[in-house]
Amino acid sequence: MTVRAGGRAGAGGALAKGWRQAFVGLALAGVLGLFLFPVFWLTLTALRPESEVFYVHRGSHITLANFLKAWKSPKIQESFVNSAVLAVLATIFSLQVTVMSGYMLSRFKGATNKVWFTAIYLFRTVPYITWVMPLYLLTQSLGLYDTYLGLLLPHVAVHVCFFSWVMKGFFDGVEPELEQAAYLDGCSHWGAFLRIILPQALPGIMALGILCWLFTWNEFLFALILTGSRTPLLTVTMAQFVHELGVEWHLMSATAVMAMIPALVVTLFAQRYVVSGLRL
Amino acid sequence: MTEVHPDTLRRGGPPGGEAAASLFRERRRFTLTLIAPAALILLVFQVLPILMGVDASLRRFSLTDEEHPFIGLGNFRRILTDSQFLGIVLPNTFFFMLASVGGGVVLGLAIAMLLNRPFPGRTLVRTLFVFPLMVAPVVASIMIAWIFNDQFGIANVIVTALGFGPVAWLVTPWLGLLIVVLTDVWLQTPFYVLIILAALETLPREPFEAARVDGASAWQIFRNVTLPLLRPVLLVAIVIRSIDAFRVFDTVWTITKGEPGRATEVFSIYAYKEAFVFLNLDRGAAASLIGAAIIMVVGVVLYWGLRRITEVSR
Repeated sequence: MTVRAGGRAGAGGALAKGWRQAFVGLALAGVLGLFLFPVFWLTLTALRPESEVFYVHRGSHITLANFLKAWKSPKIQESFVNSAVLAVLATIFSLQVTVMSGYMLSRFKGATNKVWFTAIYLFRTVPYITWVMPLYLLTQSLGLYDTYLGLLLPHVAVHVCFFSWVMKGFFDGVEPELEQAAYLDGCSHWGAFLRIILPQALPGIMALGILCWLFTWNEFLFALILTGSRTPLLTVTMAQFVHELGVEWHLMSATAVMAMIPALVVTLFAQRYVVSGLRL
Repeated sequence: MTEVHPDTLRRGGPPGGEAAASLFRERRRFTLTLIAPAALILLVFQVLPILMGVDASLRRFSLTDEEHPFIGLGNFRRILTDSQFLGIVLPNTFFFMLASVGGGVVLGLAIAMLLNRPFPGRTLVRTLFVFPLMVAPVVASIMIAWIFNDQFGIANVIVTALGFGPVAWLVTPWLGLLIVVLTDVWLQTPFYVLIILAALETLPREPFEAARVDGASAWQIFRNVTLPLLRPVLLVAIVIRSIDAFRVFDTVWTITKGEPGRATEVFSIYAYKEAFVFLNLDRGAAASLIGAAIIMVVGVVLYWGLRRITEVSR
């Protein structure tokens, strides 16, 4: 049900209404144009031949050569694969861990619940930089620095607090009567959770999974500090581009456009689910 | 939230005796099993690093040295008397937080109100507005860095076409910071739009109809009906985003790297540079802990304020 909060302003008449609609349309179009211009400009730059990249606004040559050249670079290919694999693994583990913790937060009240909820709230407020710098030391002393595992576990840790909280919300939306009925039928705690409640919360969990993949794909600070030469990740490779190969804008924009494709796919095809996952 | 007492239910009465005790133990074991993996990961990969950071901050701990002797609070004293930290980093960080959250809320509200009415192509427009939220901050920052490139960026092409001289966008401190703030507003506004639109759909219709019957103008309705009803949602969003804005790193690092002359550094950049550029992990850790303490206080104050206000408004 949509509430029309704007409404009609008393006896404005048809003319005033027409003006207002035109104004609203123009305002929306303007803001939307501004919002999408950087994306458009980056894409256009990526499509321009190397020789004309400094004068994107002049000339009309369009080419896909930049994408091919960027993709042929071994480091970029490796970064793409690493980022994708890490994001898949981090999503699987994060969901598994937080679905349980969120269910606990939603259903089993008591002292433990209060302690856990407070811990989650407090640790979510700790700035990333505060724990990722010592994580660098920790992964080194555990021999995990610059390995998949040394990236995976911290990336799961990043999500524990926020996702537990979101998952709690999903389970709060499932009626407790369902469990009570399951218990009366002789279901165990695990049986009720896995077979009765989990399927009910599945749409939200899927949405969170899509977001988790994207978050990990987009993540930068942990990747910057915890990766070395053996496990390059896409965001770090691109940021190095800006400062090291600062003049090769044609390759940089081509890589950035490719890195943006998952975001585009999620926005176009999964937005409906993701939006439900973002509700507070 | 209704509390579930499966054991009570199953037995058809209040638990008592040994069977109840064993059911209670089973429930307790299940509860602990549910949080064990999350708690373990949190302990090893967040709590332990924080403690290691505290330890490092109390030592002389350079990444180039072998020995790390204990020196007490010297690093904290040094950060808290550093004019760069006090005079530039903290003001920048708070300015960033206020401007980014304030700009995002206002713009998000405006866009959400504009989108909250039926018009042809509404779904598409809504989808397009969500897009910036999905783009990696690093990628978005690359776009912005390119647009405001002082030699070849389109911003200067436009400025010179209008008859002005080219502007040194990213190497003018206040302009650099402003551009980073605007980038963040651009990236975060969709978040506010989404949650405000979602909240608007769940609002009761009666207050709006009553106000319309009373002949209230659109602005009066927005000011006196919509905004108070949205307050709980807005406050949660503001708390979450303030905490996130305080620790911003990706956009600042990619667009300005804190330059020129360290004038656009925010708290996370300052701590990172201390640790990994100047290789003083001890001072980086001390700075990051000071920042953590500040945002913890800000977060708790906002959280309690939020709870009080939402309780009052109910």
